[in-house]
Amino acid sequence: MSPPAGHVMLSVDNIALSFGGVRALSDVSFDVREGEIRAIIGPNGAGKSSMLNVINGVYHPQQGDVSFRGEMRRRMDPHRAAAQGIARTFQNIALFKGMTVLDNIMTGRNLKMRCNLLEQAIYIGRNRREEIAHREKVEEIIDFLQIEHIRKTPVGRLPYGLQKRVELARALAAEPTLLLLDEPMAGMNVEEKQDMCRFILDVNDEFGTTIVLIEHDMGVVMDICDRIVVLDYGRKIGDGTPDEIRSNKVVIDAYLGVSH
Amino acid sequence: MFYREAGQFKTTYAADQALFPIRQDRYAMLAIVAIAFVGIPLFSSNYWLTALLIPFLVFSLASLGLNILTGYAGQLSLGTAAFMAVGAVAAYNFQLRIPGMPILLSFVLGGGTAALVGILFGLPSLRIKGFYLAVATLAAQFFIPWLVTKVGWFSNYSASGVITAQPIVIFGQALDTPREKYLLVLCIVALMALLAKNLVRSRIGRAWMAVRDMDVAAEVIGIRILRTKLIAFAVSSFYCGVAGALYAFAYLGSVEPDGFNLDLSFRILFMVIVGGVGSILGSFLGAAFITLMPILLDVLLTAGSHAFNLNLEPGVTSMMQLLVFGALIIFFLIVEPHGLARLWQITKEKLRLWPFPY
Ligand SMILES: Nc1ncnc2c1ncn2[C@@H]1O[C@H](COP(=O)(O)OP(=O)(O)OP(=O)(O)O)[C@@H](O)[C@H]1O
Ligand SMILES: [Mg+2]
Repeated sequence: MSPPAGHVMLSVDNIALSFGGVRALSDVSFDVREGEIRAIIGPNGAGKSSMLNVINGVYHPQQGDVSFRGEMRRRMDPHRAAAQGIARTFQNIALFKGMTVLDNIMTGRNLKMRCNLLEQAIYIGRNRREEIAHREKVEEIIDFLQIEHIRKTPVGRLPYGLQKRVELARALAAEPTLLLLDEPMAGMNVEEKQDMCRFILDVNDEFGTTIVLIEHDMGVVMDICDRIVVLDYGRKIGDGTPDEIRSNKVVIDAYLGVSH
Repeated sequence: MFYREAGQFKTTYAADQALFPIRQDRYAMLAIVAIAFVGIPLFSSNYWLTALLIPFLVFSLASLGLNILTGYAGQLSLGTAAFMAVGAVAAYNFQLRIPGMPILLSFVLGGGTAALVGILFGLPSLRIKGFYLAVATLAAQFFIPWLVTKVGWFSNYSASGVITAQPIVIFGQALDTPREKYLLVLCIVALMALLAKNLVRSRIGRAWMAVRDMDVAAEVIGIRILRTKLIAFAVSSFYCGVAGALYAFAYLGSVEPDGFNLDLSFRILFMVIVGGVGSILGSFLGAAFITLMPILLDVLLTAGSHAFNLNLEPGVTSMMQLLVFGALIIFFLIVEPHGLARLWQITKEKLRLWPFPY
């Protein structure tokens, strides 16, 4: 796969983030281009998840800037990030446990719904039409991810692999332009991983969604990603196409070389 | 066998999103409505209406209110009775001070006042959760009855702050018999239950549950946490406020602020726990259970003491009540946190398969 020649959609510049004494990120810069699949890799505790949290405003870096589609900001709140079209999934599944699969995915449509409280209380009329219109959109995603059979199941009762898929569905329901995936395949068996890879590629292909993903499985990363950022102890130690990363001396020493 | 959805295919999302998608549920609901609106008024004695059914409905409404806040939005509150007090006192004052004020509008405004107070006491929920938030709502619980007793204006300077509710007159028609009062309360509670059901199956309901289940994920998907919580406080307190107004106007007639005490708040919390956290139906089941249980126990104990020729002291029965009460609360907290509503759902699932085990 050749790197796409899209415009830069997101760039992070000189990000530094620390928690008390712990430096999670120091001086990290990279960019993400329109339409690409970008991976962030690195050993445990390298700061990968922290980076995603900075991008969508859950963490506020002490230093550095994030600019998304030409808009620069240092302090972002997650709500604004969502409104601008950034959606994500979490490393430890963060579904709404007490709700059904369908309701979980419907929350992804929250920002696009317009009815006020009174209209919702009355329900019939505008609210009903709105609910049905969004339900149709959600059903498309349910079809796409092949989870029709579980749509009325409370998510807490689902096996791990399916929960990961529902979380992806919820993020997709927001029709994001940028999708952040934190270890979408962790803890899955080979078959589930293959399915998930296919879904990620399809999302990228069919909806043109730009994707940033964190993944430990090198095979997967080398296969599906256009470009890769490598973090180690909160610093960027490599950035490039899979081929470039594979032959990067520093990366091999720090990460790829050590028994993986 | 009788509770099956087989053969009932839903061909549109509209049909799937209907209030009662399963036909048997629709019939059951119609039957309940018919009994509540026709059967009970025809056949109930005044004692049943005033001592059981009206309080049952009023408590159902209050636990519905608390259930919205605690069950759906996940914000524990111990201030339910305080918000009821606000509704009662406000409705009383709207009636008292504005000539020609329609009583129904007073109830709505009473609820509205409670909603505003609810928002105020909900503000700490931005910072604190769970147990600590419950303590903050406890502040409302102690402050509001105290304020109403202290400031004579609220009760029109009556002795010890007792509020004597004005008679209920609607369109020149005085509703003074228990039957009429029951029907009025029933209409209000049924309507508000329907509205609550609509809210929880719409966007705001999903937002409440999302905030309850995983607030970081909710925020990341674009739900404004504080706003969602405050709306829950407002709607919940509105319901409690109207319940408080009905408590004063249709049930007791006159109330002292101290009647809206922590005991009452806990009673309503127990109704929610026993009935089912996060369930509209559960609010009604819980209220029915806790209103009826003491009476049932009383009957059983009296019958028992007669049968076995025991000479129970009067204190023993109320002791027994407390004991059974406590045991049940513990049972529900440990064994079935989703309460009677969940037990009912399990029964339905079993019925769907009955008589075949699979
Ligand atoms: N909220 C937080 N509070 C304190 N320290 C944190 C917090 N989040 C992350 N850290 C610290 O920041 C560093 C980077 O953590 P991060 O979760 O970003 O790593 P990671 O690369 O995602 O690791 P993994 O592969 O294990 O998921 C770690 O040392 C971690 O302990
Ligand atoms: Mg991580």
